[in-house]
Amino acid sequence: MATRFSNWLDARTGWRNVWDGIFLRKVPKVNWLYTLGSASLFIVVNQVVTGILLTIYYVPTPDHAYDSVQYITTQVALGWLIRGLHHWGASAMVVLVFLHMLRVIFLGSYKFPREVTWFSGVVLFLVVIGFGFTGYLLPWDEKAYWATTVGTQIAGTPPLIGDLALRILRGGEELTAMTLARFFGIHIWVLPAILLGLVGLHVYLVIKHGISTTPKREENSHE
Amino acid sequence: MSEEFKLSRRKFLEKVTVGIGGVLTALFGIPAAIFVVKPVLKKDESSGWMRLGSISKVTPGTPTLFSLKVERETGWITDQDEIMVYVYTEDGRDYAVMSNICTHLACRVRWIEERQEFFCPCHNGVYDKQGTVLAGPPPRPLDRYEFNIENDDIYIKVG
Ligand code: HEM
Ligand code: FES
Repeated sequence: MATRFSNWLDARTGWRNVWDGIFLRKVPKVNWLYTLGSASLFIVVNQVVTGILLTIYYVPTPDHAYDSVQYITTQVALGWLIRGLHHWGASAMVVLVFLHMLRVIFLGSYKFPREVTWFSGVVLFLVVIGFGFTGYLLPWDEKAYWATTVGTQIAGTPPLIGDLALRILRGGEELTAMTLARFFGIHIWVLPAILLGLVGLHVYLVIKHGISTTPKREENSHE
Repeated sequence: MSEEFKLSRRKFLEKVTVGIGGVLTALFGIPAAIFVVKPVLKKDESSGWMRLGSISKVTPGTPTLFSLKVERETGWITDQDEIMVYVYTEDGRDYAVMSNICTHLACRVRWIEERQEFFCPCHNGVYDKQGTVLAGPPPRPLDRYEFNIENDDIYIKVG
């Protein structure tokens, strides 16, 4: 029954080709550092799932943001868990993505033909930082408010474009409901769209090229 | 490495992958379901016996509208909500305390003095003074509240 259905589906979608392309690759002979990308990917899934769940109760207005977050943490069943996973996942994501990048640098994996993988990675790193920056404001407590005041103030320091940059970030001159609303929009729509698109490209390229080999000590040391 | 060994290793890894995937899905899925569903099971209205008003306001023969303010806690917001209740008596001894919520699909019914009927505008439900269905789709009479009359006051049980 299950086989008949999967045959039926394969005849119409060709999903087996895709599946085999993803999973039937040669098992590479590398080390544990090569799992850092997959670890980052796992955290991405964690952030997506718990983030979506948080939006069910979170309300991004100055009137409600703080109270709704308190409500999630103290009243909602397992709210502390879901928020905790998202909160700690955010930090873990920055750390893991950074370590992943270091491994790519130190093992020289960014070289031909993997430059585009690297470039997409660079943007992914910036996106991850952007998630951290916009997400930090959302609980709308004192720490969030002042951290974002400082952070956006920094954007205001360059000559000529500084003032405009600050206004665009804050949605005006001051940190207000406008800021909270746009940070929320960026955090849950803009950045996830970019992230998921780039992760797709990134992982596609990793599969296409196969994982790089570890650098050898000597030129002629063939196994 | 023999061919046989490779195959069993592959099968083994496949099982491990599917197994870990299943465990992780459950680990996320079950808390997610609890997180979404559990809070909605909580009653969000204040409940218990509440004073509706003075019984002397009820004119025998005519359903009289009372309103009652109750506290409603929705998530982190507490606000006031109004419950509308019709009290009816024929003889000043037996009372009926009826909800104004239509038993069809929960629109609010209104007492129409000229026609001496309750009318629900949503799908033309009609009830008599006692709340019995006369016409339209409502499946049962208007809901009644449990009530208590002490001295001149009428109390109803909310929630
Ligand atoms: C959300 C962030 C990211 C995710 C989910 C992710 C995911 C992955 C995965 C699953 C792999 C294959 C396994 C591995 O090599 O660990 C990989 C490889 C790679 N990543 Fe990332 N990555 C991310 C960020 C980055 C960053 C910030 C860079 C560098 C700026 C980068 C550059 C690369 C390169 C060049 C490869 C190919 C490595 C090779 O073939 O040996 N990635 N990535
Ligand atoms: S809701 Fe009252 S008749 Fe349908």
